[in-house]
Amino acid sequence: MISFHPNFPDLQAFSAGNCEPAMALMISAHVDMCPQCQQDCIEIQAEMADELFTQRSSTPPLDSQYYAMLSKITDLPVSNTTAPEVINTSIELDGKFFELPRTLRRHVKNTGNWSRLVGKLWQAPVDLGDIGKANFMYMEKGGRVPEHTHKGTEMTLVVDGQYGDGIAKYDCGDFTIMNNTHNHLPHSEADDGCLVFTIVDQPLHFTAGIARLLNPFSHLFFK
Amino acid sequence: MLVGISLETKQINSVKPIECAEEMSEYLSIIARDRCKRSFSKIFSYFAPRLRSYALKQMGNEALAMELVQDTMSNVWQKSHLFNSEKGSPSTWIFTIARNIRFDMLRKQRNRKEDVCSDDLWPILCEQTPDANEVSLDHQVTMDEIGVLFESLPEKQKLVVEAIYIDGKSQQEVANELDIPLGTVKSRTRLALQRLKEMLKDND
Ligand SMILES: [Zn+2]
Repeated sequence: MISFHPNFPDLQAFSAGNCEPAMALMISAHVDMCPQCQQDCIEIQAEMADELFTQRSSTPPLDSQYYAMLSKITDLPVSNTTAPEVINTSIELDGKFFELPRTLRRHVKNTGNWSRLVGKLWQAPVDLGDIGKANFMYMEKGGRVPEHTHKGTEMTLVVDGQYGDGIAKYDCGDFTIMNNTHNHLPHSEADDGCLVFTIVDQPLHFTAGIARLLNPFSHLFFK
Repeated sequence: MLVGISLETKQINSVKPIECAEEMSEYLSIIARDRCKRSFSKIFSYFAPRLRSYALKQMGNEALAMELVQDTMSNVWQKSHLFNSEKGSPSTWIFTIARNIRFDMLRKQRNRKEDVCSDDLWPILCEQTPDANEVSLDHQVTMDEIGVLFESLPEKQKLVVEAIYIDGKSQQEVANELDIPLGTVKSRTRLALQRLKEMLKDND
């Protein structure tokens, strides 16, 4: 069951077209999976649309700029309704297929190979073009990310399975934003592991165990 | 029915604000069915100027605002068949189109100078999936490897590095605990890191 949702101001900003594109992508994917937020967004958008379009005040008469625009638009051909682009609706790891929310499907073609990070933790980078980079992370049962904190923020959406991080347990569809006030240790005990989609805007900073040794050398690996 | 541009223009001028969702829905379905320019001009003359006020607020620039209006109304013209009156009002549908176009424009506008590469975000730990012409597999430093390198440090250096980098203690705390001068802690740390660095380079 989904228990972590974007907060209401973020849903409003998303609905209005006012949030960062990376955030918009994450919220949009969550909304695909979450009937509750979907309903909220529909209501927020209807309200905003009402406010914008049903204003009583009449607008000044259209000028030549609008007429030019109008005739340009009506000269456009009808959109090509046949043969919509065929896209993958799932990603695959080791013979397992994970069905993705609609918003993430168009990014499958820009998803790189899976790499094993450490132990039972896998990563596949996603090139979001103008938006930046994201990663699919897969934790096998018993897999964990070394304890770390963030200089920036880490947005995570659980796409399949469950995981915990010492702060809470997260289920399919849960959306979280972590920042430098959090120190967490994600791990999964789910039989089928856990697939998450994540966007971080700064390198992770490892805070415990042997992984801390990586911090002073991080520059060596950024090549 | 023959509808010339001049007729449309007259009609635009006479159009009063229409707030009736049903009437707008009807226009949209006529556009979808007949590509009716007259119906579109009704939709356009009502929504375009109002969209402009949203766009101006969002984009803060007249040229971009009009671009947003044009892209939105083009979508309405080309995708009217996707409008479903059971799912919401024409206003909400058009608002959502504008919102999505706004996100697209925001994306393209963004300065990507501060771009960070994803390798930087998940530092090293990285072991590529075997690739036919991938030779670097053995040369990738992994967590396990760094563990092994760490184990190969002289005992005294290991102790200090472990206390500082793994347990997170300060150099002073370590000096107190081990009952050695602070300077010694500092030099052992420096030596250990240097050594690790060299080993990592050799490994590469
Ligand atoms: Zn939700």
